[in-house]
Amino acid sequence: MVLIAIIIGCLIGAIIGIYAPIIPYTYSGYLAIAIIAALDSVFGGINSLLKKNFDLKIFVTGFFGNAILSILLTILGQKLNVDIYLAAIVVFVGRMFNNLASIRRYYLDKWTNRKRTKTEVETEKATEQLEGENKK
Amino acid sequence: MNLNKRVVAAITLGIVCFVLTIAIFVQIKTTNNSNSTVAQTMEENDLRDQVLRMKEKYDNIYAELQNATKKLEQVRENATKDDSEAKAKQEELRLNNMLLCQSDMTGEGVIITLKDGTTNNSDVLSSLTATDVIVHNSDLLQIVNDLKNAGAEAISINGERIVQTSSITCEGIIIKINNKKLGSPYVIKAIGSAATLETSLSIPDGYLDIMKNDGVIVDIKKSDGLTVEKYDGVITTKYLETDD
Repeated sequence: MVLIAIIIGCLIGAIIGIYAPIIPYTYSGYLAIAIIAALDSVFGGINSLLKKNFDLKIFVTGFFGNAILSILLTILGQKLNVDIYLAAIVVFVGRMFNNLASIRRYYLDKWTNRKRTKTEVETEKATEQLEGENKK
Repeated sequence: MNLNKRVVAAITLGIVCFVLTIAIFVQIKTTNNSNSTVAQTMEENDLRDQVLRMKEKYDNIYAELQNATKKLEQVRENATKDDSEAKAKQEELRLNNMLLCQSDMTGEGVIITLKDGTTNNSDVLSSLTATDVIVHNSDLLQIVNDLKNAGAEAISINGERIVQTSSITCEGIIIKINNKKLGSPYVIKAIGSAATLETSLSIPDGYLDIMKNDGVIVDIKKSDGLTVEKYDGVITTKYLETDD
């Protein structure tokens, strides 16, 4: 269900995004860093959803807070002539990889568990059959 | 309760993804439109940085040079104080510097201001003649020629002294004089007989008159004591040889 919601959201966003107006080039740097922050929030949300500790308030405040804070840091970096946005990108992308690894591990565990139980059931059936034939 | 929570989470994630995709699309469109990637802007920033640094260095060295020239002049003056022959030499040097445009000059003359006119874009006729209302390098050349013809002794455009090696070239939206980029408005200062310069330039159907009719904003003023700045470049010779 979550996957369906994400796909629908992405599709509608893409359709509207194609017709959206462009923004001035000076602001595209800020938008880029906000996008990275938002992507990080989305992966964090999915991860917490899988771990069953998803909190709506934390998710929403994180989404907006991270985006706004990273934009402010970028502006501050430009004023100080230091590329602070690089630090923000490193942190966000690092967390994104962590979350992705965690999501991957969850599904891998699920898959291997299912396979194991399946094989166990099959072997049980086979042994039962064998035992039944032996009895005959 | 748990199902309800999952629905809310799914909807929020959907909305967030929706916003995110819009932002990504806008960003992609913007970067495509501005025709530059991140690497290029970084390179551009680097180059801009370098230019600024070089300019700062140049300014510092130039200030140093000016100080040194001032000191040299003082030393020379002190050395030639009680020597009439040396004084004559000093006078000659001063005259030569004056003729080589190496010193600021004051005197009577005229100040001509040329400014790009404005066109009415909605008017087809005026947009067709849009190039007429702009000050071109040929206009400046013509005016400099006219000024020299009328006996101007020192000419500068926006502070750039016209010397024997000066060129006035068109560089698209700007005009380059002595390798310096200048833009409208152009202030031409000329030292010479103010009355002669003024009348010879503002005769009816003269060049300035034609420019004014084309839509360029032209202003000509007489002045009793205007200053024409010295040439702040260096004239180097590479192929010149004296014929001894």
